[in-house]
Amino acid sequence: MSKIKYTVLLLGILFVTNADVHAANSPVTAPKVATTETESVSAEPSKDEAPLDAEDGDRVVTQKELQGLNSEVATLRDQLTRQLDRNIANSLRSLTIGGTLQERYTAVTSSDYPYTSNGFSVAAAILSFNGALKKDYDEGKNLTYSLSFLASAPTYNVQPYEAWLQYSIFQSLDTEKPTLYLQFGQISKPFGLEAQVGEDKKPAANTATFAGPGGFNLAARDIGIKLRGDLFPHFDPAYNYRVPFIEYSAALINGSGPNASDSNKSKDVVARIAFNAPVDYSSDFRGLTFGNSLYSGKKALLSNGAIISGGQGGASTTRFGQDLSYVSSPIGFTAEYAVGKDEALVSGTNVANAITATTQSRGYTFTLFYEWGEQFLTQARLQNVYDDWWPKTYQPFIRFDHWDPNTAVAGNETSILTYGFNLFFAQTTKLQLNYNVSVGKTPNLPNNNTNTFVAQFQYGF
Amino acid sequence: MKKWLKVFFPTAALLIMAISAQAAEHPRVIRFAYPAATNPDYAGSPLVNVINNQNLFEKEFAKDGIKIEQSFIKTAGPGTNEGLAAGLFDFADYGDFAIVLGKAGGLKNRLILSPSKGGNVYILARASLHINSVKDLRGKKVSYWKGTVLQTQALRVLEANGLTEKDIRQINLNGADALAALAAGTIDAVVGSYDRPLVDQGLATLVYDTRNFPVSKRYREGLVVSEDFAQKYPDITKRVAKVFIQAAYWASQEKNKEQLIQLLVKTGAKYKYAKGEIGVGNLSQKDQFDPRPDHENTNDYKGLIDFSLKNKLIRTNIDVDKWVDKSYADAALKELGLQNYWAK
Repeated sequence: MSKIKYTVLLLGILFVTNADVHAANSPVTAPKVATTETESVSAEPSKDEAPLDAEDGDRVVTQKELQGLNSEVATLRDQLTRQLDRNIANSLRSLTIGGTLQERYTAVTSSDYPYTSNGFSVAAAILSFNGALKKDYDEGKNLTYSLSFLASAPTYNVQPYEAWLQYSIFQSLDTEKPTLYLQFGQISKPFGLEAQVGEDKKPAANTATFAGPGGFNLAARDIGIKLRGDLFPHFDPAYNYRVPFIEYSAALINGSGPNASDSNKSKDVVARIAFNAPVDYSSDFRGLTFGNSLYSGKKALLSNGAIISGGQGGASTTRFGQDLSYVSSPIGFTAEYAVGKDEALVSGTNVANAITATTQSRGYTFTLFYEWGEQFLTQARLQNVYDDWWPKTYQPFIRFDHWDPNTAVAGNETSILTYGFNLFFAQTTKLQLNYNVSVGKTPNLPNNNTNTFVAQFQYGF
Repeated sequence: MKKWLKVFFPTAALLIMAISAQAAEHPRVIRFAYPAATNPDYAGSPLVNVINNQNLFEKEFAKDGIKIEQSFIKTAGPGTNEGLAAGLFDFADYGDFAIVLGKAGGLKNRLILSPSKGGNVYILARASLHINSVKDLRGKKVSYWKGTVLQTQALRVLEANGLTEKDIRQINLNGADALAALAAGTIDAVVGSYDRPLVDQGLATLVYDTRNFPVSKRYREGLVVSEDFAQKYPDITKRVAKVFIQAAYWASQEKNKEQLIQLLVKTGAKYKYAKGEIGVGNLSQKDQFDPRPDHENTNDYKGLIDFSLKNKLIRTNIDVDKWVDKSYADAALKELGLQNYWAK
């Protein structure tokens, strides 16, 4: 073969080899999309990149392109595995970490009596861990857990807030069948509304007096076991709206408050039954609920703060409450009434010679609110949005809160009228503005008229 | 000076009245809602994706200074109905059964277009069970999402095979949960949409699909407008119908099929499955995107309502002849010169 032919042959071999190497090293690209002429009434081209090319769309992918794609996938897999090992937290079971913070500014704007101070505070900081220990796709008989810690003003001691296991005894997937759950651990008390409802029924920053530590302390957690369920559910599939005609809940608790062992042999009983209007979503009666609650327990007989001999569980405590609520976005109201009887020692040093008396207390609250926005539309607000989006919701409200610590004594009650406005502006975030006009009565003394402005920023994650 | 005032104030008043009248002719914003696709930038509806891809809303309404707001609802029909009931949306494009549920539940709207028809469902079963036909589903745990088109489609397929809901153990799970349950082996079959990753993974087999089911019994997309909006802004309603018909005309053409499939892929679907959804089986691409609310559309909705009443899915009958409003589509078709394009 002549030198020229050898040279041409050599150049040809070099060319083909180089082409293969180039193809192997080139990144894998998707087939081009060529433009096709259409009779679209739109004269301007599409906002897509290169349009489809019919020939490229039919081209066969080569072995080397496939190998290149496999290499890319393998590289991504290795990167992800390294990240999972080093940079991403793991857990043994399903876990959602969440938290809620309430940061508050309180200012007394006027008062008939001297007051301590205005200022900022962290009203509450909660860190929570929730998840499922067992998820049942067949009937939804799931085993779930919750563990949370709370620090709040004024002590800021971090303590367990909720710590419970919950099992779904009945199936929970079919929306047209009843449910029944068993909860065990440190739980909320199933009494009324103020003690246990979410922000859709409680717009005010402060809990009503009767439900808080200044009243019956119904909002405090306790350790025990609780059954809650519902009967005769009504389901409107047009809105994925489920409402049971009857909701019930009953708990057996220590009665000693959160993070405390039982102080006597008796267990306290708390129970609530509520009736909901079993109507379609479009009904004017949607959101109407009437509830009755009962609490019965035992406390210690105390003399100057100390338990008298044999006095553990010697004093009876009962509460009875009724509530009525109508929450049908955009308008709603809640009304709750609770009366309690507490036995206390009048004189005596032991159970045998103890003389007791019963004090009756009473509290009630009424809240009226209105909202503009999608905060409480559970289905419509779940939107696919590429950026960080959340609908704004505006909620003005007014609340009247009344507490009488001893109905046998005249002129010792407290009334608080709250004018409020809530702004929901990001997912799990809201700004609350409350103006509390408080009138506190003490027998034989002038009224204590105090006006307080509260601004609270609550956010969760 | 007085002469000047005598001229100025009436002129200013007339000007203000004219501006106010002009403003009343147009809304500041038109609000749309659709069920969301997997990818957050896309709707489940092919025509909506065509509209957005070609900026047809902007081209039609930007010159009037009208803003367009679009909401992609993760909870599909129930979420769309909730938003319509709360007055958050003016138009919604979603599945026929959810539209019927909303209307039967009291929503005040008008059905003005049928953006697409012949929607398909696919029944997947666990590969290990060797289920070969719909009849083999008797006694099995079958999941479909209640309140969506999957429910009516599932019941129609069962009925066509001599079965009812009582012959199966119905499990109510949404799409993602249903596939997870099927993969975990806790349910036996799923009625779902066309994307079938479990089949690719060898965990499920395709038992049945509706691509050759009678078209009148397959699901449709519907475009509804709230009564308030239609009464206040009839011209805008017609122009919205025009935009959808423009998109339908483009989508109905064979030469645009590949671009249409590529748009489906962008919603999160696999190419090979998206390809099987455009102009296949017993429905041509042109007929699939026939948007006219004609007698065929009316008959299909009547059939769906009768079926829903018979199966106690709704309790209230709907007068479809009063509910469907063809006037906007007719005017838009005439303006575009497409009156005879879909005529048979």
